Amino acid sequence: MAKILIAEDERDIRDLITFTLRFAGHDVTAASNGAEAVEQVEKVMPDLIMLDVRMPKMSGYEACEQIKSQEATKHIPVVFLSAKGQDAEVRAGMEVGATDYILKPFAPDKLTERVSEILKKYNKS
Amino acid sequence: MSALIIDDEIVHYEVLGRGRPLIFVHGWVGSWRYWIPTMQAASISFRAYALDLWGFGETSKAKSRYSLNDYVTLLDHFLEEMGIAKIALVGHGLGAVVALMYASKFPRFVDRLMIVGFPMNKSQLSARLQSDPPTELEKWLLTGATIPEIARLETAKTDNQAIINTINNLDTVDLHSLAAELQHPCLLVHGQNDQAIFMPNGELMENLPDLSHMIVFEESGHYPMLTETNKFNRLLSDFLALESGKSPSELQLKEEWKRRVR
Repeated sequence: MAKILIAEDERDIRDLITFTLRFAGHDVTAASNGAEAVEQVEKVMPDLIMLDVRMPKMSGYEACEQIKSQEATKHIPVVFLSAKGQDAEVRAGMEVGATDYILKPFAPDKLTERVSEILKKYNKS
Repeated sequence: MSALIIDDEIVHYEVLGRGRPLIFVHGWVGSWRYWIPTMQAASISFRAYALDLWGFGETSKAKSRYSLNDYVTLLDHFLEEMGIAKIALVGHGLGAVVALMYASKFPRFVDRLMIVGFPMNKSQLSARLQSDPPTELEKWLLTGATIPEIARLETAKTDNQAIINTINNLDTVDLHSLAAELQHPCLLVHGQNDQAIFMPNGELMENLPDLSHMIVFEESGHYPMLTETNKFNRLLSDFLALESGKSPSELQLKEEWKRRVR
């Protein structure tokens, strides 16, 4: 079981991701934008952070930049949730330290598999 | 975990999605969890609820309430507590019996129902359901099947007595008559290779109302929702999309379909 922080502004998707990962055995904290995610990250100290690319208040890119600039949180793997056509933002996110990305749309069972792979890769499972 | 106190005992449920209410009721072998893939698919258009019945999953082992009527009352009180009125009901095995009894008792609260692995009478049930421990039933019914880890059955949490009592209780209910008198659109689904609840024979299927329709999953056993998930989800989606009051008689199994998140 891993602690996962997700930030996604679309409620339906946020709920579905939370539900799916929670019942796959993970401890999930959900935020509705990048600013909330940055606020939560030091409190939760998750094993994995999943950020939607485009969100109000603070984008995934900006949130990633802030998380990676902090000594206490820079080691936490960050994964982007991106839709097609957001390649530029994803690339920018990778440049500021994001480690991977998951392309939307995705099927819930594939999400669980992909998260397990990423956690394994970073020895967090 | 979401829970309610109903009649002084804990009732566990989970909910996902937004839209019209859709209620899932599990069977004799398992808990709410094996509905997860179906809830995920349905959540795009519906608010999908699944609860654990008395003696199953995380709901209290309220031993004095292991009867079919108590389960119908539990469902009624659950819906009342949640403020839900007109529902689509999906039940499996025990849950199918409870769903049918509920629809017969409270017809005005039900819009349609899908009953999976529904036994018309006790003789349709394998004797192993009452003789084997739930964990052994799980191994038996899932032999050769690969199911998602997320949808595991949680049989270790079942109070065996809940299975035994409710099966004994089937002798007191004329399910065939209830099914024949049903006034709602009803889709009956059965896994052709179901070893726990045998396929109903032609005689039992006679006299079903025009609003009822049966579909067989030829490659499934007891859990078509887990073994032919995409087809099952597509069928449910098509059934739920029908106009209220319309018979599902024209529904058929379609090619695999996968709900995707935007």
